[in-house]
Amino acid sequence: MPQGDYIELHRKRHGFRLDHFERKRKKEAREVHKRSEYAQKALGIKGKMFAKKRYAEKALMKKTLAMHEESSTRRKVDDDVHEGAVPAYLLDRENTTRAKVLSNTIKQKRKEKAGKWEVPLPKVRPVAEDEMFKVIRTGKRKTKQWKRMVTKATFVGPGFTRKPPKYERFIRPSGLRFTKAHVTHPELKCTFNLEIIGVKKNPNGPMYTSLGVITKGSVIEVNVSELGLVTPAGKVVWGKYAQVTNNPENDGCINAVLLV
Amino acid sequence: MVQYNFKKITVVPNGKDFIDIILSRTQRQTPTVVHKGYAISRLRQFYMRKVKYTQQNFHEKLSTIIDEFPRLDDIHPFYGDLLHVLYNKDHYKLALGQINTARNLIGKIAKDYVKLLKYGDSLYRCKCLKVAALGRMCTVIKRIAPSLAYLEQIRQHMARLPSIDPNTRTVLICGYPNVGKSSFINKITRADVDVQPYAFTTKSLFVGHTDYKYLRYQVIDTPGILDRPFEDRNIIEMCSITALAHLRAAVLFFLDISGSCGYSIAQQAALFHSIKSLFMNKPLIIVCNKTDLQPLEGISEEDMKLIMEMKAEAMKTLIGQGGEATSDQGVLLTMSTLTEDGVIAVKNAACERLLDQRVELKMKSKKINDCLNRFHVAIPKPRDQKERPHSIPQAVLEAKAKQAAEKEKRKTERDLEDENGGAGVYSASLKKNYMLANDEWKEDVMPEIIDGHNVYDFIDPDILQRLEELEQEEGLRQAEEADDDFEMDGRELTPEEQQALAEIWKKKSLLIQQHRVKKSTAESRPIVPRKFDKERQFTTGRMGRQLSALGLDPALAINRARSRSRGRKRERSAERGANDGGDIMDMDVDTPNKKQRLRSLSRSRSKSRPPGEIVPGEGFKDSYQKVKAVKLAKKSTKKRNKDARRGEADRVIPTLKPKHLFSGKRSIGKTQRR
Repeated sequence: MPQGDYIELHRKRHGFRLDHFERKRKKEAREVHKRSEYAQKALGIKGKMFAKKRYAEKALMKKTLAMHEESSTRRKVDDDVHEGAVPAYLLDRENTTRAKVLSNTIKQKRKEKAGKWEVPLPKVRPVAEDEMFKVIRTGKRKTKQWKRMVTKATFVGPGFTRKPPKYERFIRPSGLRFTKAHVTHPELKCTFNLEIIGVKKNPNGPMYTSLGVITKGSVIEVNVSELGLVTPAGKVVWGKYAQVTNNPENDGCINAVLLV
Repeated sequence: MVQYNFKKITVVPNGKDFIDIILSRTQRQTPTVVHKGYAISRLRQFYMRKVKYTQQNFHEKLSTIIDEFPRLDDIHPFYGDLLHVLYNKDHYKLALGQINTARNLIGKIAKDYVKLLKYGDSLYRCKCLKVAALGRMCTVIKRIAPSLAYLEQIRQHMARLPSIDPNTRTVLICGYPNVGKSSFINKITRADVDVQPYAFTTKSLFVGHTDYKYLRYQVIDTPGILDRPFEDRNIIEMCSITALAHLRAAVLFFLDISGSCGYSIAQQAALFHSIKSLFMNKPLIIVCNKTDLQPLEGISEEDMKLIMEMKAEAMKTLIGQGGEATSDQGVLLTMSTLTEDGVIAVKNAACERLLDQRVELKMKSKKINDCLNRFHVAIPKPRDQKERPHSIPQAVLEAKAKQAAEKEKRKTERDLEDENGGAGVYSASLKKNYMLANDEWKEDVMPEIIDGHNVYDFIDPDILQRLEELEQEEGLRQAEEADDDFEMDGRELTPEEQQALAEIWKKKSLLIQQHRVKKSTAESRPIVPRKFDKERQFTTGRMGRQLSALGLDPALAINRARSRSRGRKRERSAERGANDGGDIMDMDVDTPNKKQRLRSLSRSRSKSRPPGEIVPGEGFKDSYQKVKAVKLAKKSTKKRNKDARRGEADRVIPTLKPKHLFSGKRSIGKTQRR
C-alpha cells in the first residue's frame, strides 16, 4: 500500500546513474577506514561502548570462521569410561555394595531435626550487629538509645501488628518489608515469583530468625503451589525451603534458590 | 480531530537504542560526581535523582508514542477500516497496550526503589539500589522491544499512505482488473500510475487531482475487484471495498465491453450486482471503456440486456438524488482511453453529478441558511429592451491577427536546430549577430593570453586614437631632441665628436634608466647609500676604464671625482657654479619628455596602462583621485621601508604564550610536554 517508492520507480523507468555501481563499491570500501578512524577517535563512554560492540562482532566472526573451517579430519577417539567401569585387575572380583537403604522421608526428618541442610551457600559472611541495627535516639532529650531499627530486608507475615510504639524495641520499617521472592529451581533453571511463608533460619543467629530478618544465606519457606509439585504419595506440595543468594537490601529484591 | 496525514508521528526507536539514549541522557544531564564522605542525605538525593530522571524520560518517550499513534476509533471510519485491513486492528492495539503497561511498570519500579533508597545508609548501598532500579527499567524495555519494532514498521508504512481527504469531492473508480481504470486516471490527472497488461498491476489506492469548474476533485484509483464472496477477499481487494464503503464519492464503474481484460460482460455485470449495495446514495456512472476495440452498438443481445439492467440500477441512484429522471446521458457513457475519445466527457459528467449532489445536500442542511443570507447577486436592471453586445474595434482585431501571423513566420533558433539535424548534430553559431566593423571578423578566434600576459589588460577601446597621439608626440619630441642637441653646444661638432656624444648620451640614458628602475622599487626596499658599497663597484678605476673604452681621456674625470669625494660638503657649493657646463654625471631632473622618450625607446619591458589611468572597476572618480590614492599608499610605507622596519604585511605573533597551549588537561594522555 505505501507509495513512497519514488526511488525504485525512477530506477525502473530510467535506470541507474552512470557511475552508480562504481560509487557504491568505493563507498563501501571506504567504510572500513571510516569505522577504524571512529574506533580510534572515540573517547570516553562512547569509545567503550563502541569497543564492546565491536568485540562482540569480532567474537561472532571468529566463531563463524571456525565453523566454516571445520573439516572432517580423522582424530584419535578416546573411548569414554563407562559408569562402573572397573580396571582389569579387579575384573574377577565381586563387588559388594555397602549401602544402607533408608526411605527418603526418614532422611528428611533427620535432617530437619539436626537443623542442617545441603545448601547452595554453606558459608556466608557474618553480619555484625551494628550493621544490622541502627540505633534510634528517643526521649525528650534524645538520650535514650534502647530502640533499634533494622536496616536489612525483613519479612513479617500477614497477621502482623506492631507492638505499641512506646514499647517496641526493634523497629522493622515497612519500606524494607518484602513479601515475595524470586525463586530459581536449580534443575529446571527457571525463576518464579513466589510468596514467602516465613523465615526458617538466619545464619547470623536465632534472634534474627525470630525477627524475620532476611540476609544473604538465610533459609526461607516459600509457597510453591503454583509449581504443581506432588509427593509420591499423591499429596500436593505447597511449601518448600529456599536459600537467599543475594543481598536484598542492596538489590531491592530477594533472589533465592529452591532447595530440592 | 479527523487526521488523514500520518506523516507527523515521531520515529519509534528500537529497544536497544531506546535504552542507550535514555541511559546516556541520564549520565549527561544529572550530576556525576559523588564521594563517600558526603552527608548521607546528599548521597541519597544524588541517587534518587538519577532514578527519577530515568523514569521520567522513559515515561515521556513512551507517552509520545502512545499519543501520536492514531486510535482506530477516533479517526475517520475510512481510515480506521483501511488501517484494520492493512495491519490487524488487534495486533495494533496489543502493541500499544504493551507500551502502556511498560510505562506503568517503569513508574512502579521507580517508586519502589526511591522508597528503598530512603533507607540507604552507605554510598555502596545507594549505588547498588540505583543500578538495580535502572537495570529493571531497562529489562522492561527489552521485553517490549518486539512491539517497538512492530510499531516502527507500522509507522513507516502509515507515513506513506496516500493522503486521501475523506470529506472533499471525490470520484472513485472501480471495476474488474485490467479494464482501464489506471489509464483513465493517468489521462485526467497527473498521477503516474503503472499501467501493465497483467491483472492486479495496481495494488493499492492511488490519488490524483483534477479540476472542474474551478474546483478541485480527488480521483481515487482502486485495485480491481473480483467477484468473490466477501470472506474470501484478500487485502488488496479489501482496500478498494473499504474505499467504496466509506467515502462519499461519485462512483465510476468501469466496464470493458471488448472483453480484452479476460472477463466477459456477464462476469462484470455479476460483480456489479454483488457490490451494488455499496453504491447507495452515491452518484453512479457506468462507463464502457475500450470502445476502440469494440463499439457499444456492436455487442450481442444478452450483453446489451445486462448493460441495460445496470443502467436501470444506476438510474435509481439518479432518481433518489435529485429528481431529474429524464436525462440519461449522465448514466451510461462510452469512452476509449487509448484514443482519448470521450474521456473528458466522462470526467465532466462525474464531476457534475457529484457537484449537484453535494450542493443539494448542503442546501438541505441547516448550516446553509447562515451563508445564504450573506449572498446577494446584483444584476443591473435593464432600462430598455435594446441589445448591446460587446464591440472590438477593427484595428485591434487586425493587429491581433497580424501578431499571430508574425509569431508563426519568425524562424527561431530552435527551428533551425531541428532542421539541421537536432540537438546533438547542429551547434548554433552564437557569433552570427555580432556588430563589427568588418563582417569577415565575425568568426575569428580571439586569443586570451599572449606571452604570459592577459590580452584584456592591454585592450583599450581608444587604442588607435592613442597610437596616433603617441606617434605625434614622438615626432614632436624627436624634433625637440634634435633642437636640444644643438642648443646644448652652440657650435658644430665634428663627426667623431658627434659620435662620441651620441655614445655618451646612450650610456647616460641607460644609467638613468637603471637608476629609475632602482628608484621605483626603492620605495619598497631600503636604499643602501653609496658609502656602503661592499662590492666596490663604483671605483674611479672602473670609471677610467669605461671612459678609455669610449676613446676619451679619463684623467680629468678621475681627478674631479677624487676631489669631490674628499671634501664633498664644503666644496659642493663652490663648485656648483662651475658645474653646470658639461656635467654629464649629474642626475637629470625628471621631465615628462625624457620619461616618455625612454619609454618609447626601451623595449626591455612592456608597459601596460599608465598609473594615473582609471579602470572602470576600481572605484575612483577620476585620474587625479587615483593618483592621490596611490601617492598616499606609497607615502605611508616609504619611511618604514627605508628604515627597514616591520610593515603591515610582515608576520606578527600577537601573543607569545597563548593560554590554551600552556594550560589545561588533556582528555587522554599525559601533559608532560607542551
